[in-house]
Amino acid sequence: MQPASRIMEGADEAPLLSLRAITKTYGAVEALKGVDIDVHAGEVLAICGDNGAGKSSLIRIVSGAQEPTGGTIALRGEPIRLRSPQDALQRGVATIYQDLALAPRLSIAQNVFLGSELTRPVLGLPFARLLDKRRMAEEARGYLQRLAIDVADMTTPVERLSGGQRQAVAIGRALRWDAELIIMDEPTAALGVKETAQVLDLIRRLRAEGRTVILISHNMADVVSVATRVVILKSGRKVTEEPTVGLDADTLAHMVMTGKKP
Amino acid sequence: MRHFLSTYGTALAGLAIVIFFAVATPAFATPGNLSIILKETSFLAILALGFALALMTAELDLSIAEVASLAAVITGALVHAGQPVWIAVAAGLGAGLLCGVANGLAVTSLRVPSLIATLGTAAVAKGLAFMITQGVAFVGRWPTGFTGLARGSLLGVPNLVWWLVGVAATIFVFVNWTRAGSHLVATGEAEEAARLAGIRTARMKRLGLGLSGLLAGGTAVLLAASVSSAAPNMAGDHFLYAIAAVLLGMTMFTPGKPNVIGTLVAAFTLKALGNGLILLGAAYYVQDIVLGLIIVGSVALSAAAMRRAAFVKKLSFRT
Repeated sequence: MQPASRIMEGADEAPLLSLRAITKTYGAVEALKGVDIDVHAGEVLAICGDNGAGKSSLIRIVSGAQEPTGGTIALRGEPIRLRSPQDALQRGVATIYQDLALAPRLSIAQNVFLGSELTRPVLGLPFARLLDKRRMAEEARGYLQRLAIDVADMTTPVERLSGGQRQAVAIGRALRWDAELIIMDEPTAALGVKETAQVLDLIRRLRAEGRTVILISHNMADVVSVATRVVILKSGRKVTEEPTVGLDADTLAHMVMTGKKP
Repeated sequence: MRHFLSTYGTALAGLAIVIFFAVATPAFATPGNLSIILKETSFLAILALGFALALMTAELDLSIAEVASLAAVITGALVHAGQPVWIAVAAGLGAGLLCGVANGLAVTSLRVPSLIATLGTAAVAKGLAFMITQGVAFVGRWPTGFTGLARGSLLGVPNLVWWLVGVAATIFVFVNWTRAGSHLVATGEAEEAARLAGIRTARMKRLGLGLSGLLAGGTAVLLAASVSSAAPNMAGDHFLYAIAAVLLGMTMFTPGKPNVIGTLVAAFTLKALGNGLILLGAAYYVQDIVLGLIIVGSVALSAAAMRRAAFVKKLSFRT
């Protein structure tokens, strides 16, 4: 079988994100023991593994929430350090955290523009800028429409939305940053069947827009349904990396448990 | 209808109370008495708005009254010593701000829960106030340049009310229409989400607590100017009132959230209630009992709306 990267588009270009020999230790615990992963533009890469496999540590490193103990990160071929989530966002890497991403009582527009609100000058004064609520509402609506989510009122508090709509709001924030690489941490973990389908559809739409997605998931059916490639971690090491073509959920579950194909 | 009641119910109840007193006692709705209520409201609301700003970042500032007393004593001491008015005013505001910043640093840098940090600051401020005055009050014939800050009127409206309008309008615009204001609110609503979105939440907490201290200082200056004296416990009576104003204010307009307009309406309602009770001949201690019931009742009323906000965790000691 060919290495996955050969069959991806743009294989002759540098990977969008390249992780080399990434290690992370917490005191005496080695969460990551030298992981190499390439993420190619336009793919949906699933990262799977049992609890304690190192998924969360890896995500925290790529999202800028933590720096690795060792190893290098390159974005579009250029070595970088991600010092904070803000740093990662500005480089086009947005992470959507499982439960922490949204402020439930704030509106859709406020959540999409959280931390990066739009302002407009007032009375032509150079330093007096007030929030441009109308433009934020319009643009937030635009992002949600791109994700085929129709909510009438952008001032609706996020707590009144369904689980699928909330994920769309979180993705809307990533679109607002024009993130090229979107990392989604267990986006369907708390959702019902219908909402899960909605979120998987959101991921397909992101891919159709040419964005790259890293999907962390326990749900093997989700993974084979939307991911183009899967990386399996076990005890802090990468044990498998292959395209999802031809894989079914049961085979994948077996691979996650044993690290080998049946 | 239910939405209307949960948004405006307590504000309407306040209006009903005002109408009740106006009918029940002829002395209530006189221009003189209403002017007294409005002036009292001004002190209370400015102090309460500070508490509200700290609460918006999910921190409790229990030091507002003692900080205000300390600031009043510092201002009073300087006026009493014949220092220029602007120096006395700046010192009062500065003392308040300094206490607020100390609270902010204790919470963000030393990681002391605000409940504890501000109680400590309150004790220190109280001690300092007694130290400066040696337990007595500064009373005197103070220059009108100072007392005029609180006593005069402009266009028929008491200066105190103008101060309140200016302060409240500034805070309203800040909270609702500026980036920093929305970062302040987001910090209290969902600290982790705000931090992950790049908001400097620790800085916002220092800002909220710092402004709370500054407004306590402002209240102190106006209080001292209004009564031409400064005593080491002069703002003590305003403490529960201020907390009640913010919590009652959270039951109206944007239920479950500390808000500027709600705080103003609640402050006026509380002062009208206290004033009306006295005019009806109720004993002085009835006010405290009513205040206590309002504090608990307000939180019970907005409990459903508050459940998911970060500051509820603070209020229930899960810091």
